[in-house]
Amino acid sequence: MNSILQFIIRLVVIISGFLFTFNLPHFFCIENNKIRLSFQVFLNWVKEDFLTLMQLKGPNYLEYLNVLPIAESYEYTMTILATSLLLVFFLAILTAVCVLLTPRRVQNRLKNVINFFEAVPDLLVIFLLQFLVIFLFKKTGLKIFQLYGIFGAKPYFIPVVTVSFLPFFLLLQFLIKVMTEEQNQHYVVYLRAKGIGMVRILLVHIFRNIFPLLLLQLRVIVWVILANIYLIEYMFNLNGFTKVFQKNIFLLKDFPMLIVCLVMLAIPLVAVETVGLLLTKKLNGKESARL
Amino acid sequence: MSKYKKTIIGSTILLLILLASCLYPLYGPTNFNHMNFIEDNHGNVIGKPPFPPSVSHLFGTSRNGEDMFWLLLYGAKFTLITSFTVALLRVLFGGVFGLFLSLWAPFLKSLFKDFFLAFRYIPSLLIAVILMAPIVGNFNDVPIASLVTCQIIILVFLGIPTATLMTVDITDELLKTSFVQSSFLMGASKFHIARRQLLPFICSYSVLFMVQQLLSTLQIIMHLGIFGYFLGGLNRAGIFGWDDPQGPPTPATLSFEWAGLIGQGFKDFNLAPWTVFTPVLGFFLVIVIVNMIKKEIENNILGLETTKWGKKRKQASSVKQFGVPLNTFELINKE
Repeated sequence: MNSILQFIIRLVVIISGFLFTFNLPHFFCIENNKIRLSFQVFLNWVKEDFLTLMQLKGPNYLEYLNVLPIAESYEYTMTILATSLLLVFFLAILTAVCVLLTPRRVQNRLKNVINFFEAVPDLLVIFLLQFLVIFLFKKTGLKIFQLYGIFGAKPYFIPVVTVSFLPFFLLLQFLIKVMTEEQNQHYVVYLRAKGIGMVRILLVHIFRNIFPLLLLQLRVIVWVILANIYLIEYMFNLNGFTKVFQKNIFLLKDFPMLIVCLVMLAIPLVAVETVGLLLTKKLNGKESARL
Repeated sequence: MSKYKKTIIGSTILLLILLASCLYPLYGPTNFNHMNFIEDNHGNVIGKPPFPPSVSHLFGTSRNGEDMFWLLLYGAKFTLITSFTVALLRVLFGGVFGLFLSLWAPFLKSLFKDFFLAFRYIPSLLIAVILMAPIVGNFNDVPIASLVTCQIIILVFLGIPTATLMTVDITDELLKTSFVQSSFLMGASKFHIARRQLLPFICSYSVLFMVQQLLSTLQIIMHLGIFGYFLGGLNRAGIFGWDDPQGPPTPATLSFEWAGLIGQGFKDFNLAPWTVFTPVLGFFLVIVIVNMIKKEIENNILGLETTKWGKKRKQASSVKQFGVPLNTFELINKE
């Protein structure tokens, strides 16, 4: 009984949070070229949105769900996300091991280079890659990579590379930091004394110990990739989920649809988080799971 | 002070850029070295903007014929001041809310998390786009000051949930420490604890928070520029030569701040990449400097305070010193 009550309270709080957050701009209503603060307008908007959200069986409820090409575009976006996540994950582990196998002096230099990439804004990377592709096209006359999503084209290569560029360095930096710390542990010293090779230590023993940390970090990576996908789909005019989203914000202005879109966008993050929590729970045997 | 060498140098550079930008009307050309058409001796037009980078225009010109370097210098103050203000306000409000939540109203913590659930699962860029749309999505004639105020309020709002939760985490950690616990046992009030025991920690952490928030604010302003939500709104005059005869004019930035320069140039990227690269490089420079400052402060705060990292590092380094130096043993019975 108590838990049901708690669940209801949480649900109410979450919905009111959504209503509050996304109606916030209506505090400032533009009237006669002046901005007026009004609580009344805000309340009206909240009330209206709440009512549209609640009329579950109304004729117009979520009608756009059938009109917009949701399934197709969502699939495209999620393919990009999954591909780049896998790419980032395996490439980062591989590179981290390679970096840690190099001699100390080279290693420090490589670390400096990797740390530098943390500060590079994602827009710079996107523009540089775009510039490179166009430059190649102009020089060779060959259209090697499809860049824009016009005429229903669905390029995969360039979006995946652009989207995974910075998250790769982010994960790499994290892995190197954690693995270097782990290298000072007693069990690593012991393994080395036993004469086990460094590759085996890194890949089997250290990796097993940093795995929970890595799972927690994956959430950040998915977060960054999602934000980047949103940017890229807008900039290159790709036929991804962003377009549906954009249309919803600017043309339809349908509150239930907005929530559905947001929830759909949040699914990968929730999935990664849940998997992480479950696995850590299994590994540690404690820590309560909570959304 | 030698611990904060990079911070001092970095902030000096930022201050110099800001100062140069603020004093621009005193020395810079008011029309940004406007250059419309190049004509040869016979009066034939042989070139029109945007001009690529050359000796007279080091960073090229925009499509309206203005020199990119002067534009960048002029617009720097808006970008820098806005992001700084937003970061400061985020930390201020977040800190106050966070302290209140974890000291006086711990039961509200989970409700607060649920209320701002959207911020945990949706990248803030998306929320920013949704929130900015009603205010600067269209042309309007609202005075620029009030428009910017609204934008700043929204930008501040975007960061408050994260800042609050971070403060809550740190305060909860601090409340568990033995000196706070014993202070509680001796009958100190919550206000006293907040003032005497937590404030010194919160002060040093808030500097770090502010630098982090500054970074994220810079990022989000830059991204919003791409979506056409410029700080200070849109300029009806549009961009020369890019107007759609039937449709509305292509929006240009009104204030020439950097994100706006990126946003107005990025559709033109294939023909005139310099109009985009110049402001992006400007952002890059500022972000590199801020990141450098962040790294140093992080090292100093987290390395010195007895946090987990510091302890771990000390332990790790002490492991190697366990061995006893050679020739320190002496036999007592030397016979």
